[in-house]
Amino acid sequence: MDWNGSQRHGSAMGGYPSYPSPQESLRLRRRPTNVADQSSPQFNWNPDRKEDERRQDLKELPLPMALKKSIWQVQQMKIPAVSRWQSWKMQKSKTLKRFRESSGGALAYVALWRRVLQKIGGHFGGGVQSYFLFLRFLVVLNFLSFLLIASFVLVPSIVFQSHNSGNNNTVNISAGKEECTTYDPNPQGLVHFYTYFIDLLTGTGFMEYSYLFYGYYNNTEVITNDFSYNIPLAYLLTAGFYFIFCLICIVIRMGSAVRIAVKTGGKAVGGYSTLVFTGWDYGLQGDRAVRLKQNSIRYQLQVDLEEERIKLKAASLTLAQIVGLYSLRAFLNLIVLALIGGSFYGIFLATEFSQGYQGTDFVSLVVEYLPSIVITAANFLVPFLCDQIALLERHSPSTTVILALLRAVFLRMISLGVLLFTLWSQITCRTAERGTCQPCGYNHTLYPCWETRVGQEMYKLAMFDFITVIAVMILVEFPRRMVVDHCSCKLVKFVGRQEFVVPQNVLGLVYGQTVVWVGALFCPLLPVINTVKFVIIFYCKRITLFYNCRPADRTFRSTSSNFFFLLVLLFGWMLACLTLIYSVAVIHPSMSCGPFLSLTTMWRVVPNSFYSLSDTTREFLLFIGSQAFSVPLFMLSCVVLAYVAALASVYGQSVSLLRAQLKLEGRDKKFLVKQIEELSSVTKRREQNF
Amino acid sequence: MGTTASQLQKDLLSEYQELTFLTKQEILLAHKRFSELMAKEERSSPSLRVPMEKILTMPELKSNPFRERICHVFSTSDMKDGSLTFEDFLDLLSAFSDSATLEIKSHYAFRIFDFDDDGTLDCGDLEKLVNCLTGETEDTRLNPEEMRQLITNILEESDIDKDGTVNLSEFQHVISRSPDFVSSFKIVL
Repeated sequence: MDWNGSQRHGSAMGGYPSYPSPQESLRLRRRPTNVADQSSPQFNWNPDRKEDERRQDLKELPLPMALKKSIWQVQQMKIPAVSRWQSWKMQKSKTLKRFRESSGGALAYVALWRRVLQKIGGHFGGGVQSYFLFLRFLVVLNFLSFLLIASFVLVPSIVFQSHNSGNNNTVNISAGKEECTTYDPNPQGLVHFYTYFIDLLTGTGFMEYSYLFYGYYNNTEVITNDFSYNIPLAYLLTAGFYFIFCLICIVIRMGSAVRIAVKTGGKAVGGYSTLVFTGWDYGLQGDRAVRLKQNSIRYQLQVDLEEERIKLKAASLTLAQIVGLYSLRAFLNLIVLALIGGSFYGIFLATEFSQGYQGTDFVSLVVEYLPSIVITAANFLVPFLCDQIALLERHSPSTTVILALLRAVFLRMISLGVLLFTLWSQITCRTAERGTCQPCGYNHTLYPCWETRVGQEMYKLAMFDFITVIAVMILVEFPRRMVVDHCSCKLVKFVGRQEFVVPQNVLGLVYGQTVVWVGALFCPLLPVINTVKFVIIFYCKRITLFYNCRPADRTFRSTSSNFFFLLVLLFGWMLACLTLIYSVAVIHPSMSCGPFLSLTTMWRVVPNSFYSLSDTTREFLLFIGSQAFSVPLFMLSCVVLAYVAALASVYGQSVSLLRAQLKLEGRDKKFLVKQIEELSSVTKRREQNF
Repeated sequence: MGTTASQLQKDLLSEYQELTFLTKQEILLAHKRFSELMAKEERSSPSLRVPMEKILTMPELKSNPFRERICHVFSTSDMKDGSLTFEDFLDLLSAFSDSATLEIKSHYAFRIFDFDDDGTLDCGDLEKLVNCLTGETEDTRLNPEEMRQLITNILEESDIDKDGTVNLSEFQHVISRSPDFVSSFKIVL
């Protein structure tokens, strides 16, 4: 965008009242003459520019409407001489642009929860709004995944099972040993009424042998004259595509966040001027919200100024004090690691105990949920203790926040990993005696259909997470607000109303989504359950936000944290991907249930169906997998990567060069102004002498 | 139902769509809200000015500490009283809209913060700006010592040519490094 045009146009267009003309400011001589050049905008009248650029220029011109209208009218009068082909092209591009604008407007209208999110952003700021935007992203992701799974796995299974008159179905009976193929998910006899309730919460009983879990799907392969559908292959490939689809969505969303994070360099350089110039949120409405925002800005400024004064004083610490501080920090970190290690051991023990327990009464419900209970308790307790420990470490506030987040993320993800590791080591008999895995390749005594059990475990984790959120809201947040509002003792006033802590809530969402990813292969309906769960959580969190919470004292930097949260989500995705690969490629699938009961690993269905493809497709796929293709592809990607890295470094260098040039220009201006002053004082003295 | 006398003509609507960042729905909503500010008999004349006091009764602007500066910046009145015509109002909403570019937002933000309208932000402007941000009453202001320290720090960080004031380029340089600005410099009806 170049602003060189003649000054004449700027002042001839009705007079822009705010800024003095260059001649006046020279005469005033109070400030350097950088006023009119940059501040009063001009319009580039160059007729060679394309019409789209000119129209965009007009919108971006910070002039009053009357001036823009007159410029537009002059523009319209200048009809450039174009050929018929060019004028048709221009008309088509204009209609396309109009269409795009109107469809963009329509899409924004149907965007989910748009009004609610605007209201939240206005009252509580960008940080809290980013949590709800993240939640909306996850809801949409889960719903689209459900559509993917339903259309390729669920609907064909339902159709083929209802058409089970047998004309062209081939159901392979597994030729395995007798003990491996017995699987009876429906216990006979009378059951108590409350078992239905227990079954709903744990996924056993009437829910076990249903479309919810892996065990219900058959390995039907429909081959008619012009249509063939292989359910096991569809099941596996759908799971693979589901993961790739989620990865693409996350990476796209990360793209914009990465660009911003790289541009700002991540550090809060220029903290004071950024806070003062960009700190105000113009969408805030109402006296209360404005007063709270003013308080938060004032608090932040005072704390930053105080920190600066303390830092000046602390720069003069003696060597002995520094050594003492660092040894204290190392000791406290050891305590934190011990706490985290202890909670991992607790999860390991709980999982082992709960897997081996058999029973149907209420105690067994608690025992079934024991791993979830231990994980949730650890995730409440350990970060709380770490926060208290962090007070002793005496880091700067920003470092404290980052450390707390890192510890919480580490704890959550690795605790889920420990649970999965325990589960898998039990399935593959790493902890039991050798003999139990010999006949079937997996622990068939404990797990006649191990995939369903894993699916049930993930289902229980998701359910318990949901119950915890609702229970905390009802039993902690609402009573807290009522106590704060109606009781007037000093302690209560000191504690105050709940504050909506964004990082912990986002980590909860990431944990829930990771559980769904791990469980999706074994419990295909888990994404739709998760969609409903997240929608309910959205409305509950919104209610609790508006009724129980006060705006945070320290505003939360939303953009750099957006990138961090997506990174954590990606880490959860990688953990789930690892379990998927391990389950698909290494462990022997159950011989008594599911679509893969006749194969040695789930992956074998792909090579088996590979040979039924046509010759050309087979050769093409073999070629892509061969070295003749992949090595040149790899080298090409390296070249592209090197080029992009070189481009980025060149841009960084030109930015610093331009900054230096700005400084030089300022100095030049000062020199010229001084010269003008000297010359005019000399001429004034000469006039006085005459 | 709405009165037909105060409806916006189609050609004016498309012209406003060309010249501002607002969509058709936003322009129509702005027209509706602006007409509500005028008395019933004045609604038909398109170039009528609404005085600043009436504009400041809108809930979006009522509590904003910069409300008077915003009205002054977007007003094209010769008497400098902050009164706005409908086109000034559209300019205001366009600069504060979702799709406005960073350049136009930073340009208008600079003019809003320039309390004495001299084209640069000097110490007086910065002090008034900080007072607006923290609250105007006695117990919500920073004390003079803190204010001096803060203004020194601001000038040290953003005044590149070291002339004691922040001009538009330096201001835009600071703004470009803050990714939250575009989303916070927003007023939506």
